This record gives sequence, structure tokens and C-alpha cells, in this order.
Amino acid sequence: MSQALVTGLNGLSYSFILFLLAAGFSLTFGVMGVLNLAHGALFVFGAYVGLQVIETVNAFWLATISAAVALAVIGFLLYYLFLKRLYNKVPEQAVLTIGLSYMAANVIQWVWGPRAQITQAPEILTGALKVGGLSFPIYRVFICGVGLLVLALLWWIQDRTRWGAIIRAGMDNKEMTVSLGVNYGLVSTLVFLLGIALAGVAGILGAPITGVYPTMGDNLLLLTLIVVVVGGTGYIQGTMLGALVIGLLDTFGKAYVPKTALFFAYILFLIILLVRPSGLIGRKVF
Amino acid sequence: MGDSPRELPAGDTRVADGTATSLARKIPRSLVEIGLPVLVIAVIVLLLPLFIPSFVSSLVSKMMIYGLFGMSLNIIWGYAGIPSFGHAAFFGVGGYAAGILFLKVGISNFWLILLLAIVAAAVVAAILGFPAFRVFGVGAGAVNPIYFLLATIAFGEILSRVAIAVRPVTGGSTGLSGIKKLDLAGFGFRMTSGRYYYLVFFIVVVCLFVMYRVVNSHYGYALRGIHDNERRMQALGYNTWLYKYTSWIIAGVFGSVAGVLFAFFGSTMIPNNLAMVTSDIAFLLVIMGSTTTFFGPLVASVVYVGVEYLASLYLPDRWPLIFGAMFVFTIMVIPQGLGVFILKWWRRLFSGSPA
Amino acid sequence: MAPLLEVKGISVHFGGLAAVGNVSFGIEPGERLALIGPNGAGKTTLFNVLTGQLKPSAGSVYFKGQDITRASVFARTHLGMARSFQITSLFPYQTVRVNALIALQGTRKGRYNVVRGLMGDKQMQAAVQGLLESTDLWELREEVVSSLAYGQQRKLEIALSLASDPELLLLDEPSCGLTTAESADITTRIRDLGSKITVLMIAHDMDLVFGVAERVMLLHYGQIACVGTCDEIRANPMVRDIYMGTRKTFGSNG
Repeated sequence: MSQALVTGLNGLSYSFILFLLAAGFSLTFGVMGVLNLAHGALFVFGAYVGLQVIETVNAFWLATISAAVALAVIGFLLYYLFLKRLYNKVPEQAVLTIGLSYMAANVIQWVWGPRAQITQAPEILTGALKVGGLSFPIYRVFICGVGLLVLALLWWIQDRTRWGAIIRAGMDNKEMTVSLGVNYGLVSTLVFLLGIALAGVAGILGAPITGVYPTMGDNLLLLTLIVVVVGGTGYIQGTMLGALVIGLLDTFGKAYVPKTALFFAYILFLIILLVRPSGLIGRKVF
Repeated sequence: MGDSPRELPAGDTRVADGTATSLARKIPRSLVEIGLPVLVIAVIVLLLPLFIPSFVSSLVSKMMIYGLFGMSLNIIWGYAGIPSFGHAAFFGVGGYAAGILFLKVGISNFWLILLLAIVAAAVVAAILGFPAFRVFGVGAGAVNPIYFLLATIAFGEILSRVAIAVRPVTGGSTGLSGIKKLDLAGFGFRMTSGRYYYLVFFIVVVCLFVMYRVVNSHYGYALRGIHDNERRMQALGYNTWLYKYTSWIIAGVFGSVAGVLFAFFGSTMIPNNLAMVTSDIAFLLVIMGSTTTFFGPLVASVVYVGVEYLASLYLPDRWPLIFGAMFVFTIMVIPQGLGVFILKWWRRLFSGSPA
Repeated sequence: MAPLLEVKGISVHFGGLAAVGNVSFGIEPGERLALIGPNGAGKTTLFNVLTGQLKPSAGSVYFKGQDITRASVFARTHLGMARSFQITSLFPYQTVRVNALIALQGTRKGRYNVVRGLMGDKQMQAAVQGLLESTDLWELREEVVSSLAYGQQRKLEIALSLASDPELLLLDEPSCGLTTAESADITTRIRDLGSKITVLMIAHDMDLVFGVAERVMLLHYGQIACVGTCDEIRANPMVRDIYMGTRKTFGSNG
């Protein structure tokens, strides 16, 4: 039972990493209509940028900000160089971004080498919280905290702000929203960049617990996609729920039935497709 | 789903099939315009091993196998408008079935293995088709297109994880090796790499012929109709779900034949042959070759295998970079695909006027 | 005589909103019925229930005495219904000939044939010639549809609906977006369809309505406001109120 609590925290922190990735992915897809299959590769790139900063100046906080900014810049270039010309062509976007992820993984390997890199969490966040006889790593608690903060921020934007209203209107009917005189272009571009920047934040936050290696993007992308489908698109709370379900399922699976754990996420994914194609909490896509 | 590039109706075989001019009807157009190049290429490919070193003919074998793989995906992508991103699932099931039947079951009749592998792939396709087409609905934007992509990507990944997990049967993460080329019972000769080339040639030609018949049949035109306008097709009396579902199985079957050929060609099968990496090859071939021509993926396969070989010689470490760059180059520079260029060029040569 | 199509108490709710409320009517074989009403009256919703695009919240639809309320779109076509679309719905990258071929084989046995070539099928080509000649499109047979003029596309739209040899033809604003002359041409064509084909059509264009229909049904706020012959409808002050209240003219746009 006590072990279950510690595993629970691990699962929870993993869920929040997945949430950051999946929320970013959903935002770019929902708002800009961009199917960015390079999202996993961007996560890895963000992590490496962060590691580089830590190696140079040894400041975790600066590393997190650098990763987010670097990815926002890349996202901007990605959009204006390529994706803008592929508006509304989803298979083409998929082909482009798949190609880019192969390129990114190889370039990362070229620059930083093929080996997995391990980084330490900043000193303040190392150590463990002792509750009863159990010890919970502080860093994992910290990840959950950051994740909750981002969740709260996105939820607030979605439900309480003018931006949220514009985005929701734009998802329903883009032409109409643009014609209402709303600067949809600006809002959607900023949200798109926010989505990509979140991948960088996830990358550097996750680095101390997952380690970082050039090809990790593929696996994470796949889990991200599953989170998006299981949770449903269109609502941030759906993405969170999806991330929780998949993160906990994966972590507990690996802890108790390591051999079959690999399949749990996939099987759940297939069940959701068959039974509830719009996801647990998703807008109907019809 | 988004449309494939269509700026060039003149280069679209699906349009051209209906545009028999009065001149072309006097001389059967198909005989000269299609039959001639097919015959010339076939003769060249058949005679090639006499003049080239064996490593080149093994490259040509690979081109044919990948060409078949790409063209099988094109049946659903190019004709029916279903962009599956997990086609390697069928390629891998075919290859693994062949490997398992040979190594673990001990069947040594090539044709029986081919037949059983096809059946295995058809069964897998029939099962996966249900969840896949649950989320692939009528008309543009009817169902979030992302869901179908995700579902198909996941299929390949799930199967590759199964291949890793079921170690006693599939060899786990190292896969199967030692899938030896089989003597053809009744043909009375020992199978060598050189002779395998002709077996590949024969099977690929038969598959292309059957696929060509399928896409130009009554059924094939229904697929084109579903690509263009599924809603109308339903109103015209077509059970479009059944068409999509069956075309998915047909594409899977031909993909599995490519997989079987590949297993004996390289004598190994690894979990990655089921996964995204391999699916990505298939849709690079389709996009690069063009979704609007029948033979496009075959052309792309020649380019792809050539580039892959050169990269393995000079830049083996940078291969993923080159592979990825081929995607980006294709989609940004030649989005209509190589097949369309070749078709236009050939038409111009044939008719003496700009296509 | 038993009605060919019978609609019993159809209601469609979107959320809490009733788009169509408890509508019942019947169409006799060979009849020409026009469905009119201001925008938002529920015409298209009702039409979608008849074609099978939409399942009603309540009520049922009978065709030739058979309950088809839950039948799929394609199954209805096989029973003898056919429809046209308000927004032209063709196969734009194919030639007129291929459009007709695809339309014709939709209800024929050979449509699942994976071996036999479609273009070389003499029987089908003869059928195509018949269909295209009867709709005056034969001259355009080798043209790619996207290159056709709009008026010709509208003609092809109706031709495709006729391909399955329907007993009941459901037309959704057949003259939508056409010039007066083209619209008059379509009117004549629909009138001349022959008594074997029953027609139910949505129309805004009053020349088309009065030129074709034997009976007119006015839908308002999802309910049948009145039914009558053309003369009765013309004379009915309520029709004028409903129409004039929402639209300045009896325009022909959708």
C-alpha cells in the first residue's frame, strides 16, 4: 500500500509531463489546424537546449526559460517557412512534420551525441519529503506543482478570458470569427507558440526523471497522441484526464506487471476508439 | 481529409482514363501509351542481371519490393483517399508470418508460405479495420482527421510491441533471422540470390497487374468516387463503409506480399518492420511518387533505394537526416509527385504537343 | 391509392430546439410536391430526415409501405429513392462520362466487381449514353466536371440523381444559383420527367414551384403551415404574410 503511494506520485508526475506535451499538441492542432507530428522531436530538442544551458551556466530556471523561448522561435520559423503553405492539408502536414522529426533527431545526435544524458534536478529540489515512513522525491512533487499551475492557467484562458472565447469561436467557424473583426491571426499564432513552448518546458522538466536521448521523441509522441485521443480534443480538462489515465496506467503497469504494461495504453486507446470516438471529455467532432 | 495535390488534372490518370480522343480510339491508346513502356521496362529489368554486378541487381530487387509496398498503400491513399499511416503493420505481418512459418513451423514450400502469410495479413486487416473506420467518417472534416492517423500509427506500434513481447515466436527485439530463400518445389532448381531476383520480378509483376485491374474495375471507380465525394456516393446507393473496409484489406494483402518478399530478400525480420519507421517509407513512396498516378510509388522506390544505397556508402550516420529531408523536399518542392512529371513528359513525347 | 412516401409525426430536436415539430404528410405516386418556407423553417432538416442523413427524434417515415426511418442513405437509394444536392455535389476531377458511370453503377450488381474494367464495359457505356443524351449532356461527355460552367454542373447534378432510375426523386433547390433562363430550362426538364417519377422538391424560386408542383406545402417554424394546390397557395394570405415578413421578393437564392 505504501509502495503504491510512491508509485502514485511517480505516475502523477509522469502524467503531468504527458499533460504538458499533449496540451501543447492539442493547442497547435485545435487552434491552428496544424497536425504537428514533430512535437515529440521538439520536446527532445527543448530538453537538449536546457541541458546545454545547465552545463554552461548551471541555472535550472534559466534553462527552462531558454528551452521555452528556443522552441517558440523554432515554432515561429516552422510556421512561416512551412506550415503556412500547407493550411488545411492535414496529410501533407503530417508528412512534413514526420520528415522534420527524423531530421531533428539526427541533428540532435550529431550535435550532442547518441548517448543518454542525465541531469540533476536543482539542489533546492533534490531530496525527499518524509511523510510517515514514506519518502516522496521533492522533484516529482515540484513537477506536479508546475503541471497544476499550467493546467490552471490554460483552464483560466479557456473559460474566463476573451482569448479563450476567440479560440473557441475560431474552432467552430474560422471564417466567421475572422469576419467579426477579431484579430484571430494574432491570438491563434500566440497560442500556437505557447503550445510549442510547452513542449520545451516539458522537455527540461522531464529530463531529470526520464533522462534524455535523441530518439526518445517517437515514443513520447505516440503516448501524447494517445492521451489526446483518450481525453478528447477541444477541452483542456479532457487532455488532463487523458494524461492522468495514461500516465497512471503506464506507471502502475510497469511497477506491477512490467511485461504486459506496454500494451495497456494501446488497448485503452483501441477501446476508446470503438466505444467513445470523441474521447472521454471531448467536443463532438461531427 | 485534405485532398492530395490536384492542380494538374492533365497529369491525372484517373481523369485521363476517361478522355479517349477520337485519334486515340483508332490506335488503342492503352497499347502504345501504357503497353509499350511497360514492355520495355519489363524486358530491361529481366535482362539487367546479365550486365550488372549482383549487388546492383539486389538493389533492383529491393526497388521492386518497396515499389509494391508503396503501390499497395496507394490503393487506399491515392484511389480511395484514405491516408493510412500504419501500412507497415501489413508489411510486417506478412514478413513475420513468412519467417515464423519457415523457421518455427517448418514449412518449406514458398507458395504455401506466401498464401498463409496473405491470409494472416487479411485477418489482421479485417480486425483492425473495425476500429479504424469507426473514426473515418463521411465527407471532409466529418471526423477529426487526426483520429484516423493516430489509429493507424498506433496499429503498427502495437504490433511491433507484440513482436517484441512474444519472444519465443517472434524472436523478441532482435527479431527473426536466417529466413533462407526457398527452392521452388516443382521448378527443380536451387534458389540463389540471382534467381530470387526473377521470383521477385514475377510476383511483383503479377501483383501490379492485379492491382491495375482492381483500380480500373467497377470497384476501383467506386473508390475514386469515394475519394472525391463520399456523401454523393452514399446517395447514389454505395455502401461506402464496405468499400473503404474492403479496400483497406486489399491494400493490406498486397502490402503483406511485399513483406514476404522482403523477409526472404533480407533473410531477417525485426520489430521495426512493423513500426512507424517502415510505415514512413511507404508513405514517402506514395507522396514522392504521387497519389494521382498508378505507377508513381514504383518510380519513387527507384529514387528512394538509390538514395538509401548512396547514403549507406558515404553518409551512413546522416541517413535519418537525409530520409527526413526527402519528406520535406517532396512536400515543399514537388508536392504533385514524380509520377505526374513522368506522365506529363511521356504524354508530350507521345502526342508531340504539350500535355 | 396508398401513398408512395408517408411521413408520420416527424420531430427533430437539436439540443432543446425543435427544428421540425410533429410533421405528417404523404405523397401519392406520380405526384409533384413542392416544399417551401422561409429560411430556417426546417425544410432542409426535414429533407435530411427523408434522405436518411439525419435520424428523427420522433416519428417514422414509410416508403412503399416499408418503415425506412432508420434505413441508411444507400439502402434508401436501392429501394427507389434518389436525391440531388443544393450545393452541387459531383466528382469534380472526373469527366462527365465517369460521373455518369459511377452514378449508374451505384444500384447495379456489378458495382463490387474488382476484375472487370469499368471503362470498357459496353453495357455500362450504353447506359451512360442513354442517361447523358436524355439530359442533353452527351456533347460534354469528355469534359472534366470542374471545367464545366455552373449551369451545366447543375444539370449534371440532376442527371446523377436520375441514374438509379428512382421512383421518388428528392430535389434540394434544383435551380439554386441559376440564371432565369437556366432556371426555366430546369423547370421544363423536371416537369417532363414523366409520370413514373414522383417528385418532392425544396424550392425558393416561385417560378419553379408553380411551374412544376401540383401541390405545395408551406413549412413555418418547423410545422406545416398550409398545404394546397398552386392556386390555393397563391391566393392564401398567410403565405404572403410568412414570405413577405421575412423576404422582400420570392428570390431564387438559397
